[in-house]
Amino acid sequence: MTEAALAQSVGSGRLAGISVTVWRAAGIVFASFVTLYVLIPIGVTIAMSFNDGSFIRFPITSWSLRWYEGFFASTRWTQALANSLVIALGTTVISTVSGILAAWTFDRYNLPLKNVIYVLIMLPLFTPGVVLGLGIAIAFGGIEIGGWSFFGSRGSVVIAHSLWAMPLVFMLMEATFRTVDRRIIEASYDLGGRPVRTFFEIVLPMVSTGVISSALFAFVISLNEFVMALFLTSRGTQTLPVLMWLSLRSAGTPELAVTAVVLATAVFACMSLVMVWYVRQLRKLGR
Amino acid sequence: MALALELDQVSRSYGAVVAVDSVSLDVEGGEFVTLLGPSGSGKTTTLRLIGGFERPNGGAISIAGRRVDHLPPYKRNTATIFQSGALFPHKTVAENIAYGLRMHAMNPSLIRERVGEALGIVQMGGFEERYPSQLSGGQKQRVALARSLALRPSLLLFDEPLSALDLSLRLQLRADIKRLHDELQFTAIYVTHDQSEAMAMSSRVAIMNCGRIEQVAPPQQIYNEPANEFVYSFIGESCCLPVRIDDGAARDQQGRPVDIRLAEPPSSGAWRLYLRPSRIRIGNEAHGCANTARGRVRFTEFLGDFNRYHLVAGGLEFFCDRAGERQYQIGEEVEAGWDTGDMKVFAA
Repeated sequence: MTEAALAQSVGSGRLAGISVTVWRAAGIVFASFVTLYVLIPIGVTIAMSFNDGSFIRFPITSWSLRWYEGFFASTRWTQALANSLVIALGTTVISTVSGILAAWTFDRYNLPLKNVIYVLIMLPLFTPGVVLGLGIAIAFGGIEIGGWSFFGSRGSVVIAHSLWAMPLVFMLMEATFRTVDRRIIEASYDLGGRPVRTFFEIVLPMVSTGVISSALFAFVISLNEFVMALFLTSRGTQTLPVLMWLSLRSAGTPELAVTAVVLATAVFACMSLVMVWYVRQLRKLGR
Repeated sequence: MALALELDQVSRSYGAVVAVDSVSLDVEGGEFVTLLGPSGSGKTTTLRLIGGFERPNGGAISIAGRRVDHLPPYKRNTATIFQSGALFPHKTVAENIAYGLRMHAMNPSLIRERVGEALGIVQMGGFEERYPSQLSGGQKQRVALARSLALRPSLLLFDEPLSALDLSLRLQLRADIKRLHDELQFTAIYVTHDQSEAMAMSSRVAIMNCGRIEQVAPPQQIYNEPANEFVYSFIGESCCLPVRIDDGAARDQQGRPVDIRLAEPPSSGAWRLYLRPSRIRIGNEAHGCANTARGRVRFTEFLGDFNRYHLVAGGLEFFCDRAGERQYQIGEEVEAGWDTGDMKVFAA
């Protein structure tokens, strides 16, 4: 390199240095803005849940835990929380099992009209909740078995939520199964592992991270879902979001904020659990 | 005693593509038979048919005298060593080896014994608690081998187990597998496209091409007495001289006379002469050879152990190897010679 060229490159380096600083500052500002944008609604809700006042309103003049006490003392709220958790758990079980089996079948066997089946499985995920909720209410609303009516039961919401969660599990697991080395499955057969044992002992552990994350998705989807639950629940089976909506219409007390915090905590708690498990699993496999 | 493996007119096709075309092969207990061929020759499909991963369209497969072609892999007494090792990533080395034994409902103390024994055989003692991701490529293949050996199958199937390894490791594992075969006397079917591997390890080699077996014989016989042109050209390096013979005189394909003198020229017509470059002598050494050809040096290659001289005679090109310093320059005219036994003649 000639001296002149060297000098020029050093000069442009200084210019570039300045613009790098500017860009970095702009980046920090932008990142802070996005972070605040995401955190403010959650932060405000958390702050409001400790408000001693009777209304959701700023300024907060005194702090207390009275609305938390109220929440956990009220059977209406705890019943709704229990409903939400039971429904989410049911949804997780049904959608994970059926989604995994469907994805495995899809991956292993040459089905006729594969693309059509794929679209059919995925369809509910893209159907508005209002449509699905109404459809289930109309289609299965009349079912009664020995005095137990399907409409308004937790089971109906589980079925409805699974319609959304199952395609998601299917999509995730179908992609996961495709990463499984076919030779490893063949090796299991070769060593005497029958298909069912191979599936449980070899395939499932290999895709365990996919299973856990899709189960989590199913759980969270059900916990968060509002519209279908609104259509399909009755007074005794209302989920947390439904009860929140109904009480918002009657009285906007900070109890609502408490509910929101409880719901969000439930979601974040299971996500954290999964993260911990995931990291441990990765460490175990030493990747 | 029943044959360890018997393939009788086994065929497998995918739509219009015939991957394996009525292959018959008898393997006796303790034999090490290699299926050798270019890619797409049907050797891997043949192995997969034996292992049960594919079903034949026709023919019969018997292992130790029992028909197995309707049986899935988990009901066959075979064990495959895959190219990638195909170890279970979430199981330790010991658990990997124990897996097959557990599937056969062996009692735990016997399993522990067998796992230790198998690891000892492949010199991997002390690696019991490692996960496959903590092993090198060669170590993985040793564990895969141990996993298969622990089952004591009547047939070990090798699906190009060394092709993913680098050269020095490949040579070492190749020697290990051969030693293990000598010690344990298992029956093995080994698929490879690497002819030196096939030559070094096998008691017999089956050369495959286009879904058919061209020749099955011990390695020396394959090399020295190839059954046909394909086997000759596939095994070892060879030069091919397409010539026309008219009343004992050789011409190239354009009909120009070339200076090739053959001790026993074939009858008039088109022929292909095959020569081993390592057996062709050149310059002074060629004097007194029964067969000679005069050619000009087109270019030379230095290949470490020897120099390779590419010669051209009329429209014919061939090459010969000679150890030592480079002796002939480009454009120089030299004489090449060979013994009649070192040449194969096939009708064109």
